[in-house]
Amino acid sequence: MRRSLRILAAAAALASAAAWAQSPSASGRDIFLRADKGNCIACHQVPEGAGPAVRANMGPRLDAARLKGWDRARLRALLDDPMRANPDTVMPPYGRHRLLDAGEIERVIDYLHALP
Amino acid sequence: MRFPDRLRFAAAALALALPLAASAGAEDVRNQVIAQQKERHPSLAPSDLAAGSAAFDPERQAEAERNRPAPGAAEAIEAGKRIWTRKFGKGKSLAGCFPNGGRRIATAYPQYDPRVKRLVTLETAINQCLKTHGQPLLEAADPQTMGAVLAYVRSLAVAQKISVRAGSAAAEQRFEEGRRLYYTRMGQQNYSCASCHLGHSGNFFGNAAVPSPVGTATQWPWLREGRPVTLQMRIRECLDRMGAAPFPAGSDELAHLDYFLTYLSNGLAIRPNAWRP
Repeated sequence: MRRSLRILAAAAALASAAAWAQSPSASGRDIFLRADKGNCIACHQVPEGAGPAVRANMGPRLDAARLKGWDRARLRALLDDPMRANPDTVMPPYGRHRLLDAGEIERVIDYLHALP
Repeated sequence: MRFPDRLRFAAAALALALPLAASAGAEDVRNQVIAQQKERHPSLAPSDLAAGSAAFDPERQAEAERNRPAPGAAEAIEAGKRIWTRKFGKGKSLAGCFPNGGRRIATAYPQYDPRVKRLVTLETAINQCLKTHGQPLLEAADPQTMGAVLAYVRSLAVAQKISVRAGSAAAEQRFEEGRRLYYTRMGQQNYSCASCHLGHSGNFFGNAAVPSPVGTATQWPWLREGRPVTLQMRIRECLDRMGAAPFPAGSDELAHLDYFLTYLSNGLAIRPNAWRP
């Protein structure tokens, strides 16, 4: 009985670790900031409180005013492959090159739409 | 009907000019890059751009000045001198393989060698000497050996102006290969060297200003945390950051990129062993 419990506990711990490794719950903010994910903060500044203050200016500062008119479909297309709109861009093709999965792209869009 | 004719003429001229620009000679490409960087940074001369990120960032400039001479530079140069002067039998040494014991040679590399039909970088020349004398070769990516030797040899050419040549069709071809690699998007991030360093030099990636390619070849090896980082080591780091598999240390691809970048710095004085964070 005790052995079964231990096996169950170990299995639960493994499942939990695997779930964490896939980080299904990484927030849009995390994905935007993390160097091993979007690393968007390396190029874009965001308003105070939405992320750390950086000097980055490879891309435009992102805030509600800048993102006016950028609905989900337009942002999704941009994040998937920005070269379709601008062949000279330095922005990575997050979807096309599988840097982010579809769910992560949606959470980044949530984050961008929540920017003040 | 004159207006459409003019349009057709302009289109034809443009169509002709684009392939010409893509296959222009080394000197034309160098002049184009310098002009493009001058347009981006009108107040900076090519010699200013040699400071790398510090050329665009007073904070980084102040930090660089506080770290002059770079911590670890003296030790790296001394370690390199020991390897350079070590006798490996019959009185031979690395120093003996080069004119003037290696003084003022560094600014002439890379150079095309028609006998072996390859570009010879300073790393290659050092290993050719070792091979000739039956000695183990130095690993091009190793800061402790090759990095240190280059720190020393380049210190023997401080203030000398870079003068690499592209005086033959074969050399031009190697330059063109370096240019092609520099402009090719690579890796998961889909960057090319040019998309950041040409189009965004002076802009900030994170908290660091992106260096211009003009002058990049003047200050290496850079001393980072006391360890020498050569130009080729730095290119490999950049490729890794781009999500691309770095070209192998000592590869022809790195030699071509080294040649392209060094040619862009022709005429600029070298200041090796500079501090970098």
